[in-house]
Amino acid sequence: MSADSQRIWLRNLGYLAAALAILLVPAIANDFHVHLAQTLFYTAIAVIGLNILLGLSGQMSLGQAGFYAIGAYGSALLSSQLGMPLAVSMAAGAFLACLAGLLVGLIALRARGLYLAMATLAFGFIVEIGAQRWTDLTGGTMGIFGIPSLDFGSRSMGKSYFLWVAGALYLGSQIVSDYVFASRYRRNLLALKENESSAQTAGINVPVWRTAVFAVSALAAGMAGVLFTHQSAYINSDAFTLNLTLTLLIATVIGGLGHSYGPIIGTLITLLIAEIIASFYDVSFMIYGIILLTVLLLFPQGAIGLLQKIAGFSRIGTSRKTSQPREPISNSLVATREGREVRGGGPALRIDGLTKRYVGVTALKDVSISVELGTVHALIGPNGAGKSTLINVVSGLYAADAGRIVLGGRDITHLPCHARARLGLARTFQNLQLVPSLSALENVMIGIRRRRGAAADFAAWMTSAHFDQIERGHALLLLQQFGIAHVSDARPEDLPYGHRKLVELARSIAEEPAVMLLDEPIAGLNDEEARQIADVIRRIRNEGTTILLVEHNMDFVMSLSDRVTVLDYGESIAEGTPAEVRSDARVVTAYLGVGLDTEQAKLAIAT
Amino acid sequence: MISATNFVQLLFSGLAMGAIYALTAKGLFIAHLATARMNFGQGEFLMIAAYLSMALILAGIPVAVSAVVVIAVMGALGWALERFALRPLDRFRSLAGGQYSWVLTTMGVALIIQNVATLVWGKSSQYSPPLFSESRSNVIKVFGVGVFVEELVVIVTALVVVAFFYWFLFRTRQGRGIQAIAFNPEAATLLGVDVRRTVTLVFVLAAVLAGISGILVGPIVTVQPHMGLVFTVKAFAVASLGGFANPLGVLVGALIFGITESFSNYFNSKFGDLIPLIIVLVLLVIKPSGLFGEAKADVR
Amino acid sequence: MRRVHFVGLLAFSTAIGVGSAQAADVKVGVVQGLSGPPAIVDFGESYLQGIKLAAKDYAAKGGKHKIELVVYDDEANPQKAVSLVQRLMQNDKAAVIIGTVSSGNVLAFAPIMQKAGVPLVAGPSIATNITTQFINENPSYIFRCSMVEKHQIDAMLDWGVKTFKKIGLVHSTTGYGNFAAKEIADGIGTRGTKLVAVEAVAPNVNDLTPQMLKMKEAGAELVLNFHESFELMYRPMPKIDYRPRVAGNWGLSSLKVLQIVGSQELEGTVMGQALDLSLDEPKAFVTRMEKEYGKDFRWPVIAALGYDAMQVVLKAIDSASAIEHKAVRDALEGVDGIKGISATPAKPFGLKDHECLDKEHVFLGVWKGGQVVRLQD
Repeated sequence: MSADSQRIWLRNLGYLAAALAILLVPAIANDFHVHLAQTLFYTAIAVIGLNILLGLSGQMSLGQAGFYAIGAYGSALLSSQLGMPLAVSMAAGAFLACLAGLLVGLIALRARGLYLAMATLAFGFIVEIGAQRWTDLTGGTMGIFGIPSLDFGSRSMGKSYFLWVAGALYLGSQIVSDYVFASRYRRNLLALKENESSAQTAGINVPVWRTAVFAVSALAAGMAGVLFTHQSAYINSDAFTLNLTLTLLIATVIGGLGHSYGPIIGTLITLLIAEIIASFYDVSFMIYGIILLTVLLLFPQGAIGLLQKIAGFSRIGTSRKTSQPREPISNSLVATREGREVRGGGPALRIDGLTKRYVGVTALKDVSISVELGTVHALIGPNGAGKSTLINVVSGLYAADAGRIVLGGRDITHLPCHARARLGLARTFQNLQLVPSLSALENVMIGIRRRRGAAADFAAWMTSAHFDQIERGHALLLLQQFGIAHVSDARPEDLPYGHRKLVELARSIAEEPAVMLLDEPIAGLNDEEARQIADVIRRIRNEGTTILLVEHNMDFVMSLSDRVTVLDYGESIAEGTPAEVRSDARVVTAYLGVGLDTEQAKLAIAT
Repeated sequence: MISATNFVQLLFSGLAMGAIYALTAKGLFIAHLATARMNFGQGEFLMIAAYLSMALILAGIPVAVSAVVVIAVMGALGWALERFALRPLDRFRSLAGGQYSWVLTTMGVALIIQNVATLVWGKSSQYSPPLFSESRSNVIKVFGVGVFVEELVVIVTALVVVAFFYWFLFRTRQGRGIQAIAFNPEAATLLGVDVRRTVTLVFVLAAVLAGISGILVGPIVTVQPHMGLVFTVKAFAVASLGGFANPLGVLVGALIFGITESFSNYFNSKFGDLIPLIIVLVLLVIKPSGLFGEAKADVR
Repeated sequence: MRRVHFVGLLAFSTAIGVGSAQAADVKVGVVQGLSGPPAIVDFGESYLQGIKLAAKDYAAKGGKHKIELVVYDDEANPQKAVSLVQRLMQNDKAAVIIGTVSSGNVLAFAPIMQKAGVPLVAGPSIATNITTQFINENPSYIFRCSMVEKHQIDAMLDWGVKTFKKIGLVHSTTGYGNFAAKEIADGIGTRGTKLVAVEAVAPNVNDLTPQMLKMKEAGAELVLNFHESFELMYRPMPKIDYRPRVAGNWGLSSLKVLQIVGSQELEGTVMGQALDLSLDEPKAFVTRMEKEYGKDFRWPVIAALGYDAMQVVLKAIDSASAIEHKAVRDALEGVDGIKGISATPAKPFGLKDHECLDKEHVFLGVWKGGQVVRLQD
């Protein structure tokens, strides 16, 4: 058995052992310990949701208690007032919380950072106030009586039954979380957290992901709330204050933000702290404060980071050493490109009368460019000519004020960024846009399209160590071809600039684009590196990819391009083969100003 | 529906509370401007300043002297907060979730401060003597309604402080330094701005602002160890409402919040605290970076 | 590292009570709100001060058992309170449990204790239905030594409708305030009149000017004050030039209210009471408490009830046939010969009466010259 499949086997055995342990708790623990274990499991579910929201997507929520409360009241009211069976009311409660999460997620589409934190804080308070004041519905601080217990009708065994349900739901959530942390979900969430625009241009539908992750974290908080409701069969509004939100947040951070096993450890620690300070009430806040400061300042990766340090291994479940691709993959850079072939034989990319205005400045004025299939088309011009603006408008980061953009016969002028990417438009950035917390290989993998649905991918992950081997292999192959496979596990910040440029280029090639927009691909590189990039561009062109290129280095442009367009003050002033452009008088003027001898200018451009 | 005198009365009430929120929020604003961080214990800083001021005045120290002492202590506290609870985090910026660690470290400091207050002054509410009058009820008539002298002082102080900050940010070298850092720390360094000193300065200023609010708020409300959170939350709401990017926005946001609160308590006291929050939420949905914040495009 | 592990293990075992030592032969569990806003802590700490003094007196007199108080803070959070009660029952093996401030918390754990058959002496929570909802159980394990909201409201309304034409109410929106508001509305209805104005105050509101303007507009001569931050109402009065009579919950007798509001402003304020400070015993008790706790002593009546609750519990433990839940419960029901500091009678409980204070023990007190005395009408 290979080391990899042994690892999967051990992991699944771990799940089994955990399930067995949950089953056995009631046999060895007294009622209080069972109660604690119940609380541990359902609280951990809420923390898992927050960990994905904050640790992966980087969105701060100060309103988790709101979702928890909605789940709790939903199930409490449906089961006690309407007499629904518990299975139905509990599912409905969690669903309601998820719905609330969607709504809050819609706010997250526009608000960012602290504004989003404030919006969620306000949401949490509004739910708390509603629970406290809408006494006809919620009973306020006097609470709701007569909520059925989750005990399957057995008084003596009820506590164990509840524990098993809570434990099973926790284990399920943990497995889903493990999958999220091992799969493309983690990569995509980190990408949109750390670099929204590059995530968009890599084809990630950022608004949908931002909203969905809120809904998922709300669902988790709602599940916890639902379980809490049926634990003691009584709830009142004092349980859903800001303190609850803060406790969940503290558990997430103390456990280790952005680690799949942070939540369970963090929850365990906060529960124990809570039990300890219950008898040291005069200094309880101080104990809490000191623990927070100690963890964050000395062990910023939380308990799990500390454990890993002690045990001497790094980054469980976040990344692993890349194995070599097993099967030989074709030597082609662009492995497959089904369905992206340009129809009708027209230009691969047509830009028609494109205009872009900023306040007071017209950055692009009626620019038209036709990029023919399978060519390298360069865009040159002095600084401020509008080259980068053009790339940004074409890739969809900025909206055009007028004009049309047609990709392979399809009008994409009004499509969002990620949709353009999915239609086969890839780009690189002038100043690099890699995801800092992902390895070089994982950065490349962001570009790779998914090949199967979530369920199939999950099933593959459960059973095989090589569930993402095709993606991994493909990405590694690209790095190999660029001669940087040996740094595939390094983070971008540890790579030299040239390598980073190559990684970004590899990521956009991994998207298997029909058309690539390259914004100054060799700026800041030495000659050797520039030559390497030029080789790569030629190869992908020869394999059929169309390239629109912005670059200042004239040697590079002239030697590589099939056609050249010159922009000046947002206007296209010349277009032709490199040779034609070089001898165009207007180009010479634009570059060097009037009054220069034409021959001298030609010389200047040529060098 | 509402009599003219009641209207004016409520307006003054709202203005006074709004002025306190403005002072507190100003501290959040300036720290956030320069560092994209702020003190989540701003309310606890206010609380401890209120206690210190109360203790000094009750010990017979003249108000002016005690105010100077409190402000000096608060400045030192702000320095310590930056030095020991925020600056060490710079090492961990690249870690997962590291961007929000400051929320919890400043909250940790806040918890410790709160606990210290309960150990020194007990867990109960305290009487804080008025600053400018002998009796507890020094009322003067303005536009035909009674107003506490302290309330007027708060309103005037808030206006003066906001004006000062406007001048400071736009007319002094240090102020422009703060703005330069806000725009781009690396470029600011090249321009000769001492980034580290400026960052320390903004946290000292933020703590001093909390100190001023604490001194002023004590005699208006009841001083108690738990009072801080409400002010932190409201200041946070106010700064978001006005926009973290605009020094006038904070004042406008604070006055809107304070006045809304006072009128909503009059018209529907049962949900008096809900209406301002809903307004904040709705405005954030419509204007996701505050009333005066510019929506900055993600330019690469 | 080893050391850290050891300390961790120690903390862990104390926290969840693995292998707890058996020093005392009887453990009395106490759950109280001991951290958080003053509206909670003032009640919780005052009651606990009384409990501790009674335990101390018992030990000094050479009580029959060695008593250990196991005290936990529930932070007024029901989830936490339930967990702590489980811990007291399962781990600490408490013979009887006393607590807590928040009525919602008592309502959360009382059914669990009733089901488990562990006696509870509730206090200082005041919601009316705490003992009544279990009184027909056979037997009920739920007792209480505290004010009963209904009793003080009845006393207040009897006096109020007789003396004033226009009565207004300002209440908080917490459980305590809402619950009181409902009882007052019911009570005033049965007395054939109604409130001229009802205003609520959210917990994080600091300025009651809007609410008091409404009271003034309605011309309320008596304003009922059912907000836990008792002092807030007085603040806007000079400003809006409106000085109604104030009456409210027993909390208004706190020395902290006196300190913050001042005796002049407080003069004439009426509240429900169960401690008659004109008698010698209560006076001596206050002097002792002042000596014992200094400035942390703030609430004579609540401390007195805490003291009486503990007296009752200790007497029951002494007279129980065995230190076992059912026996202690039976003993509690039969306790007799209590010398209560508060109005708690010598035989507080009976088969169908699990309240220390009954209607006839509650009277009205009034602030006069910086002292709470019996209201003479």
